[in-house]
Amino acid sequence: MDKIIEVKNLHKHYGAVKAVRGMDFYVERGKLFAFLGPNGAGKSTTIDMICTLLKPDEGEVIIDGFYLGQEDDRIRAVIGAVFQESILDDRLSVRENLMVRARFYSKDHRGIRAAIEKVIKVAELTEFIDRPYGKLSGGQRRRADIARALINTPKILFLDEPTTGLDPQTRKSVWDMIARLQKEMKMTVFLTTHYMEEAAKADYVIIVDHGQVATKGTPYELREAYSTDLIKIKPMETMRGRLIEYLGEQGLESVERERVFQIAIRSSQRAIELLMASREWIESFEVIHGTMDDVFLNIIGKEQKEND
Amino acid sequence: MINLGMRNFRLYVREKGAVFFSMLGVFIIIGLYILFLGDGMKEGAGDLPGKEGLIDTWVMAGVIAVSSITTSMGACGVIIEDRVKKRYKDFMSAPLRRSQIVGGYVYSACLVGGLMCTLTFIAVEIYLVVNGGALPSVLTVAKVLGIIALAVTSSASIVLFISSLLKTNGAFNNVSILLGTLIGFITGIYLPIGSLGEGVQWIIKCFPVSHAGALLRQVLMEDQLNKAFTGMPVEAVDQFKEEMGIVFRFGDTTAEPEIHVVVLILTTVIFLTMGVLNMSRKEK
Repeated sequence: MDKIIEVKNLHKHYGAVKAVRGMDFYVERGKLFAFLGPNGAGKSTTIDMICTLLKPDEGEVIIDGFYLGQEDDRIRAVIGAVFQESILDDRLSVRENLMVRARFYSKDHRGIRAAIEKVIKVAELTEFIDRPYGKLSGGQRRRADIARALINTPKILFLDEPTTGLDPQTRKSVWDMIARLQKEMKMTVFLTTHYMEEAAKADYVIIVDHGQVATKGTPYELREAYSTDLIKIKPMETMRGRLIEYLGEQGLESVERERVFQIAIRSSQRAIELLMASREWIESFEVIHGTMDDVFLNIIGKEQKEND
Repeated sequence: MINLGMRNFRLYVREKGAVFFSMLGVFIIIGLYILFLGDGMKEGAGDLPGKEGLIDTWVMAGVIAVSSITTSMGACGVIIEDRVKKRYKDFMSAPLRRSQIVGGYVYSACLVGGLMCTLTFIAVEIYLVVNGGALPSVLTVAKVLGIIALAVTSSASIVLFISSLLKTNGAFNNVSILLGTLIGFITGIYLPIGSLGEGVQWIIKCFPVSHAGALLRQVLMEDQLNKAFTGMPVEAVDQFKEEMGIVFRFGDTTAEPEIHVVVLILTTVIFLTMGVLNMSRKEK
């Protein structure tokens, strides 16, 4: 397995506040990796540390073979980052902004020009390339931010809540762009989010809480482990009694609303058994696969209850 | 460094408010002089021949000195802005050295200071010539530009250090306004230093910009002083120079021009070092 990011036992305290306490994980090359967690879980702090902005108190981070703290400049050359804040200059045009930033990485004029043309195309900036950054809409800014992060053709692209505060349509277009980048440019994408539907599209998800990894896996694995499927059965009018009887025998709890029975099922296998047994009495049914929302609420919610 | 310096310069020039406010100190002095202080000072000069031109030149030399600090302060606004808006994150996550980032700020502060100060000099000369003064010689212009270079590096270093201590826009604005209004006093531009108390005189003499002002007065007023005091005893000239802060007297000795140059260079070195060290500390 090719690990492009490896984080071991990472710690960071701000005074008495332990923002990150013992984070362990790795990221595979070329994957879309989501870091999911509630506000204040330590997502941004972790990203800031990996991006060489913050010094960890403890722990080891290896990025593309380089050790954090010893080879920071080598790391900086292979990463691109989009931060939560808009960090380009309001009074410069998008092109000027990109020009200034491109010179951080290279002195070669031709190369810089080519790199800028490329990111303009990838991030679809043509329309507002010569307008001041400060006059752009939220979605345009985000696209410019992403273009900035791509200016050095990084191997890893970090995005700290890239879609927060955008309207749904813009959110989708930004998200599509990120997904396309990862596929077309074979880039490793590391993003933090608190939108479940975004995390569900990632190759791998880590859920963090209280500065630690709460759980990790592919979205499918997480759903299997932490969410329940929901079956909705509407029995034929005459068969309502039979269904109740059967559910009772099987020890399945259900909620009835207007003759629709909602039954929580642990595994899809059990769902099939249930449907097979009751096929004679069913007027209609629906199986709802568990969502990332359930996973998130199950993990984070449970911990919060334990802490209360 | 130059890349970031030019970026900072552009950001300054494009904010017209910042440009105006960084010149505010200068406008205040000129306004006060023309409206209130000028006539009084000219009367106070007694019956010196050519006193109008002499006093005009005296004030304008001070104006150039003051502009070196207020304009470079304006250019330092970007330091605070970068910090407040967390733009430094963008620089720090790129393979840039901290010294390049700090160097960019120094570069733009000096560039803005040098440019605005030279513009002030040109404006001042136009004013003086229109009011009947003589055009300065090439040598005078060269000397003035040299002094401007020294004054700007010293002033830019001081404001860079001050800016490295400020954390918010509000703090920065307050300090700039305070500096803009007080600078005329603490460099002895509004009033002749001789008319002030011993303690205030010392404050003025401690302030590096005052030394730039003294040097500029020496250079710009040389011919006029010679004309005004022809046939008068040397003591009279010396006393006038001392009263007006054209030369500074420390105890029994009068400071030579070299002393002023040394003061400016030393303050540059000291404040630049402190400012750079202050800004280079890695966030923990």
